[in-house]
Amino acid sequence: MNILRKLWNDLHLFMALPAILLFGLFFIYPLVQGIGISLTDSNGMTAPRFIGLHNFADFFHDARAKRDVYNTVFFAIGSAPLLNLFGFLYALILDRPFKGKGFVRAVVYLPAVISPLIMGYVWYFILQPDRGFLYHLLASLHLGTGGSDWLGNAHSALIVLVFINVWQFVGMTMIIYLAGLQSIPKELYEAGEIDGAGYLKSLWYITIPMVVQSIKINVVTNIIGSLSVFEVIIALTDGGPGYSTESLSIYILRMLYGSFTGYSTAVAMILFAMIIIPVFIFMRYINKKEFEM
Amino acid sequence: MRRKKLGLLLSGVMMFGLLAGCGGKSADSPNPSGNAAGTAQETGPKETVKLKFFTGKVETVDLMNTLIQKFNSENPGIEVEQEYQKDASNVIKVKFASGDIPDITTVVEQDYIDQGKYLDLSSEPFWPRVLPAVKELSTDVKSGKQYQVATNVTMAGIFYNKKIYQELGLKEALTWDEFKANLQAVKDKKPDVTPLFIAGRESWTLGHLIEFLAHGIIKQDLGVKSSREAFINNESDKLKFDQENGPIDTFAKRLLELQDAGLINKDALTATYDNQKEAFATGKAAMISQGMWVVADLLKISPDFQNDIGFSPYPSIQDGTKPVVLSADDSRYAITAESKHPEEAKKFLEFLLQPENLKTYSEFLKSPPAFTDVTADWGPLKEQANQALSSGVNIAFTDSPSGFSGDDAGRMVQELLAGQYANSLDFAKAYKDAWDKAWKATHR
Repeated sequence: MNILRKLWNDLHLFMALPAILLFGLFFIYPLVQGIGISLTDSNGMTAPRFIGLHNFADFFHDARAKRDVYNTVFFAIGSAPLLNLFGFLYALILDRPFKGKGFVRAVVYLPAVISPLIMGYVWYFILQPDRGFLYHLLASLHLGTGGSDWLGNAHSALIVLVFINVWQFVGMTMIIYLAGLQSIPKELYEAGEIDGAGYLKSLWYITIPMVVQSIKINVVTNIIGSLSVFEVIIALTDGGPGYSTESLSIYILRMLYGSFTGYSTAVAMILFAMIIIPVFIFMRYINKKEFEM
Repeated sequence: MRRKKLGLLLSGVMMFGLLAGCGGKSADSPNPSGNAAGTAQETGPKETVKLKFFTGKVETVDLMNTLIQKFNSENPGIEVEQEYQKDASNVIKVKFASGDIPDITTVVEQDYIDQGKYLDLSSEPFWPRVLPAVKELSTDVKSGKQYQVATNVTMAGIFYNKKIYQELGLKEALTWDEFKANLQAVKDKKPDVTPLFIAGRESWTLGHLIEFLAHGIIKQDLGVKSSREAFINNESDKLKFDQENGPIDTFAKRLLELQDAGLINKDALTATYDNQKEAFATGKAAMISQGMWVVADLLKISPDFQNDIGFSPYPSIQDGTKPVVLSADDSRYAITAESKHPEEAKKFLEFLLQPENLKTYSEFLKSPPAFTDVTADWGPLKEQANQALSSGVNIAFTDSPSGFSGDDAGRMVQELLAGQYANSLDFAKAYKDAWDKAWKATHR
């Protein structure tokens, strides 16, 4: 009886079992398999041969991969801070009472619910030179020709990609900050006010420390999201012109398609490291800060 | 703290798992489970057999749906499902690798023939009906067997606006100088018209440029069989990809000449295939490089345009060479060797090759049939196509390594147009490197 009772009492320990099994099946198994493939010269057709870390060494001599790393990092450095900054500012503004607040919040959030692929195509048709919506708009307002081929130029195309990504997902970041802001007890602000704190002091000493959990979520998801960017590039530039806006995620897929299965998996592991390292550093930093506060 | 780290690690592992999951598995691992219909046949004879038809031909998706519907209603025990993918020649690799193998497909690559991925169709009864030239192009140069059959002959060359030509007194160009002079005349006398409209966002159209113009030199130099062997076996001494003033270098120079002289659209890197068709059919572009597959869409955009469409060979881009016109097998079908239902797949193929269905297909595609027993009113360009075939050397499609598709080649041409190569020879060297790398990946 005791054993049964003990088992009954410990039942909660097994509640996570199905999730662990699924996790193992769909993540751990492909991960282990992926590590194995990355150490081979697999082309998806003939029998793979073990080549050790050869694929990883190749990566550092691959000019296209280097450019893709640059593109990916450029995109992430452009997107992640702007998303957080504007998301936070939007949240601060839209947390204050005003008429039509719900509507404005919905408008800001709306792009986030549409697929980045569709959004990319919409922007593509807006930005096309000579025949795009923007061209006609600017022409009708007599504001220049608007005929620049922003997507046909590698540098401007990357900036456009960052802009669209920020525009699309700022609402998502805002919602998480709003949730954080709304969980701050009003008494804290009242106490601050009594102590003579102005808006900026309240923001610095009350608001920011209290939304640190939201900051964590937003920074981590934005780093992961922007370093693994895929859809918006496919829709807007298809990685082009040439490979000039190709991200590492797209490269991984194209290498996989192009008979370089082993190499592509090795690049996937490198991208994983590129994502996990900044996330890890940030989490260490923010946890330390949180402890100090 | 430790729990947070663990959570972080696990989320990272999940992220990597997602990426690594794309790694697929070797086709050599025993995984024949891809065919959903596999179980259907085993459970009882009355179960419907599901056939997967995999295609990369966007222009025929609707027509194939109609034909499939007809086939399905005539064959109650079989249900064909069509799957279209934009980058089909690459996607099929993942399908082969993951075991999600279609039964019948329009995607045929030499590497997959070498790997035994397709069923030998050599003894099928339809061969006597196929045009001898098409049968030759359908024959594997290594084994001498036929693993594919084509329903049509397609052509590609320069489409021009007859009205504009007449107005400006232009003639079909056979040499590069004549071609450039024609474009210049359009630019000078009709400033609102784009002389040559390039749809550079679609990398396949740029891939075609390199395939027809640059490879055209190799194909005419070596002839059909020998050039096919040179491409398939990567005989670099014959292909001369990286040679100064060789086929690729010359092609790159010519294209840059057009760009520098402003003879192509300024949005050549971002204009789509739809933009190209629209511009040409509405008289906003004087010339385009395309295949016969474009005609049906042009007539949809502008039905009255029929009498204004001119068709000529590609001009020779190198001194001492002749103009070329693509005249090749089109709409190829192959049945996969791992198909669980080869008999049903053959039945579907037989259906597609019935004269009345070939006629429908040919007339829809505005492309001549490859079967001798089919008479089809395939389009307004019949006479012009015959004339082009006699004034240019007829070339076929290139057998590229499976890891270097027309899209990949086209992306390199995008780079060229975007000014990312110091000179044309750098482009030629990069082209050879990319080709060799892809070839070596599957030949070891």
